[in-house]
Amino acid sequence: MAGILIYSDKDKLARELLTVAGLIADARGWEVKAACINNARQCQLLSAAGARVYQIENPAVLPADAANVAVALKEACGKLDCSIVLLSSDRRGRELAGRLAQVLGAGCLTDISAVKVEGEQIHCQRNALGGATVATQYIDGEKQVLAIVPRAFAPAPDRDGGSIDELQVEVPPSRIKLLEFQAKDSSSANIEEAPVLVVAGQGLNSQEDLAAVESLAQKLGGELACSKPLATDKKWLPEDRVIGLSGKKCQPDLAVLLGISGQVQFTVGIRDARVIVAVNSDENAYIHQMADYSMVADLHQIVKELNDALA
Amino acid sequence: MNVVVAMKQIPDLQQIRIRNRQPVLEDIPWTMGAIDKNALEAAVQIKEAQGGKVVLLSAGNEELEDTAKEALAAGADEALLIIDDKLDEMGSAEIAKILAAAIQRIEKIDLIIFGEGSGDNYSGQVGSRVAEILGLPQVGYASAIEVQGESLRVSRSLEDGKELVEIGLPAVITVISGINEPRIASVTQILKAGKKPKEILDLSDLALDLGEICPVKTESNLAPESDRKRVAVKSVDELVAALKGENLIGR
Amino acid sequence: MDFNLSKEQSLIQQMAREFAEKSIAPAAKQIDEESKIPEEILAGMAELDLFGIPFPEEYGGADGGYDGYVLAMEQIAKVSGGVAMTMAAHTLGLGAISAFGTEEQKKKYMIPGCKAKHIVSFAFTEPGTGSDPKQITTTAVKQGDFYILNGTKRFISNANYPGAMVVFARETESGEVTAFILDKWAEGYSISEPWEKIGMHGGQLLDVYMKDVKVPADNLLGKIGQGFPILLLGIALGKIGTSTAALGGTLAALEEASKYAREKTHRGQPIAKFQAIQLKIADLAIKYETARWLCYRLGCLANDIKDPGKFAAEAALVKAYCGDNVVDAARIAVDVHGSYGLMRDYTIERVYRDAIIGPEIEGVADMQKLIVASSILRSKG
Ligand SMILES: Cc1cc2nc3c(=O)[nH]c(=O)nc-3n(C[C@H](O)[C@H](O)[C@H](O)COP(=O)(O)OP(=O)(O)OC[C@H]3O[C@@H](n4cnc5c(N)ncnc54)[C@H](O)[C@@H]3O)c2cc1C
Ligand SMILES: Cc1cc2nc3c(=O)[nH]c(=O)nc-3n(C[C@H](O)[C@H](O)[C@H](O)COP(=O)(O)OP(=O)(O)OC[C@H]3O[C@@H](n4cnc5c(N)ncnc54)[C@H](O)[C@@H]3O)c2cc1C
Repeated sequence: MAGILIYSDKDKLARELLTVAGLIADARGWEVKAACINNARQCQLLSAAGARVYQIENPAVLPADAANVAVALKEACGKLDCSIVLLSSDRRGRELAGRLAQVLGAGCLTDISAVKVEGEQIHCQRNALGGATVATQYIDGEKQVLAIVPRAFAPAPDRDGGSIDELQVEVPPSRIKLLEFQAKDSSSANIEEAPVLVVAGQGLNSQEDLAAVESLAQKLGGELACSKPLATDKKWLPEDRVIGLSGKKCQPDLAVLLGISGQVQFTVGIRDARVIVAVNSDENAYIHQMADYSMVADLHQIVKELNDALA
Repeated sequence: MNVVVAMKQIPDLQQIRIRNRQPVLEDIPWTMGAIDKNALEAAVQIKEAQGGKVVLLSAGNEELEDTAKEALAAGADEALLIIDDKLDEMGSAEIAKILAAAIQRIEKIDLIIFGEGSGDNYSGQVGSRVAEILGLPQVGYASAIEVQGESLRVSRSLEDGKELVEIGLPAVITVISGINEPRIASVTQILKAGKKPKEILDLSDLALDLGEICPVKTESNLAPESDRKRVAVKSVDELVAALKGENLIGR
Repeated sequence: MDFNLSKEQSLIQQMAREFAEKSIAPAAKQIDEESKIPEEILAGMAELDLFGIPFPEEYGGADGGYDGYVLAMEQIAKVSGGVAMTMAAHTLGLGAISAFGTEEQKKKYMIPGCKAKHIVSFAFTEPGTGSDPKQITTTAVKQGDFYILNGTKRFISNANYPGAMVVFARETESGEVTAFILDKWAEGYSISEPWEKIGMHGGQLLDVYMKDVKVPADNLLGKIGQGFPILLLGIALGKIGTSTAALGGTLAALEEASKYAREKTHRGQPIAKFQAIQLKIADLAIKYETARWLCYRLGCLANDIKDPGKFAAEAALVKAYCGDNVVDAARIAVDVHGSYGLMRDYTIERVYRDAIIGPEIEGVADMQKLIVASSILRSKG
């Protein structure tokens, strides 16, 4: 019986890959296998989610060295009889994808945001033409390397049936020397780069209410931003947090707009956000028309409820 | 130090219009991919510091000779071009084999630089595949490259941090757009680009074994349907569920 | 007939657009407010050869032709009328030296000019005369190996920068209008405070006072009494720059209006949905396209001028059209913005003020039309 193998150096993304692998494996009556490299914690996490985990312990296989990871996974595919490998489409995963596909003689798709099994084919959706279009593509052949966009699928829930076995792989000495790794420091505010923006407008009652909005921003993993009057007229926030014509143009994954009417001078700065949520007490406020999700409600109440819901 | 920079010729994305959800590609001019400009700039900076030359490598349709002028104006010393209209239909796997075969014709190459992904498809496979075919070590997503004798110190920028690695030469590096600000070519450089040395090959000039390839097939390629969903949400619970559905919370 | 740009031409256009957007546009408001172009911008332009596009390489130029010049100028002018004016006046001065200078003069003045170590001026207007160069009162008196220049020149672009100035004076011995190359800041050369004009801020406009300025006889441009033909061709070449500066303004008007029409909403829909706005956008597109092809063609014609008189008439026609055209275009674009368009926060406010210069600079529109008419009536006559 052939199989599908998943690998990511990141625990959370590996659990997401299990979800996708499940879709494919179910359709084919395969089982899902997972390779964990030098990561005992991930072995536990994945086996708890029902995967057959193969633990590779070999200090020569460094995540920083895509070439060696590819060799290790190729061996794993051979030993485990897997023809499809799922990787995460983060930077490490994307770099690995091409190398692994080449070692395996496989076809490869990266940046996959949706997957649908259609008979023999695995239809994958990905952005094309720089995001102008979404293409549905599949690999015509048995050997496939598919790299899945982070957060496109929910992480697999806990499930029985998992196991952990050791797997020996031989790799050549690494030609990459890791000198230093510096984890990102998250203290400085940069609203242009934040994945999530919670944006306060003149609907906010008082400066004191900002604290709750800021806390919401933190819970959503983002930054606090504002419309211009909040900074220039009321001076509740510094001007480097202003979005719009005279402020910054941002394209976060998520923008939560609170008490903002949606004047064009503001919206030019946020219209490229992937998902827009608007909360405004006026049902005729224009901002509702440019939102994916809109609520006609008092923002203070909503902020409070959201803070509770996300606690 | 001899550096090869790979460039993909892509349609000018800013000029693509959507009609009935279909991208209209007729009459769109071809241009050099955006991140490839950063790759070229990185190569030119290395050459300026270390000596040697920068060879532009590209495979594409007959417009390529013109498109290559962009890179030659911006600092490449010579070009090796594989021109064949069949290339437009080929995927990353095939292109990687073609580029690798072409690189093997160039004498004494120390470094091969790619952009992290092409401007149109952004698949990011070709650099890794070429490295594997040529049996070279690779470092992806470089945000700085420093030459130290026979090896490089490369800073790479990852989602969760920055990594500093050392890699021996020859090697393959892919760069992110933040690595540098590509220079703008002057009028003189633009006008001289066409006069720089170039070698033009077609597919039959390369001893190619496309071998085992599982090709990528495209079912459809359409613009996303509507911009904003405009869903009226009645409660916070509903909103939270919707955001979970978008994978925006609980990650 | 083929209206396509070559790859090189479109790269020149792209290069200028990129530089304009990255390096000039962010400073455009500041240039307008402070009436000063930051050094880095001039240096950046120099590095890209933007101060010597049409001139031969041996004199420091880029050999890009006036077609290349037009393509670059359009993009620069789109983001800043003041920078465009500086570039246009400079290229006008160099154009005259290139057409009429001796080998030595070209080597001496064009190389630093093309490299923008010098910013060149061209001075014919006087307090008493603008449209009628025959009224020139500045004098040049021969004295040994020198000419001694006395007089006042009005509205001289770039007179504050060091470099060459092509100046027109009446040579007293012959009584004829004659051109000289003068080193700005030679002894006896001084300038007024910059004029505070309505637009094209940053483009420096000053009066020049010449008091016993000694110009070596070698700096005679062309021959004694040749001033008029030099002026005619020089200005005709200059009109390529001023027309294209107007073209850039027209493009800015079109782009600003279209952008605003899509952004501004009225009762929930963008004003672009209203036919009244659509008609204005179409008018702007027509104005832009007509001016564009006139300017591009004029640039191509200038690369190979066979009959200066005929070229001067062509240039006058293009200038007359583009100068008025940009004012109309900017006005329409302001209308699309409504009152917002009159506020400093909106780019169109500056574009409008810059545009107003268009018809007056380098010979008012009516004078251009007289040149056009006389060339037609003469040749048919
Ligand atoms: C040249 C120029 C440049 C400008 N540049 C910018 C810019 O860069 N950025 C910018 O933001 N603005 C800019 N503006 C200002 C812009 O036109 C608007 O005035 C501004 O965006 C309005 O901010 P707002 O939406 O926060 O406030 P308002 O328009 O006052 O809207 C407040 C909204 O809050 C809602 N609200 C009130 N109470 C509540 C509540 N309890 N719960 C929920 N909703 C509530 C109201 O219904 C209303 O829709 C510029 C203006 C000009 C003229
Ligand atoms: C931004 C700017 C930059 C400039 N840069 C320079 C420069 O670098 N060098 C330089 O020498 N000059 C420069 N000038 C001056 C400019 O070229 C002159 O102002 C222009 O030639 C018009 O001359 P004038 O203002 O004296 O108008 P006038 O000649 O006084 O004309 C005034 C009016 O009378 C009309 N008129 C004049 N004569 C006739 C006639 N014969 N028949 C019918 N109508 C007539 C005109 O059409 C016009 O409407 C610059 C001007 C500006 C605004």
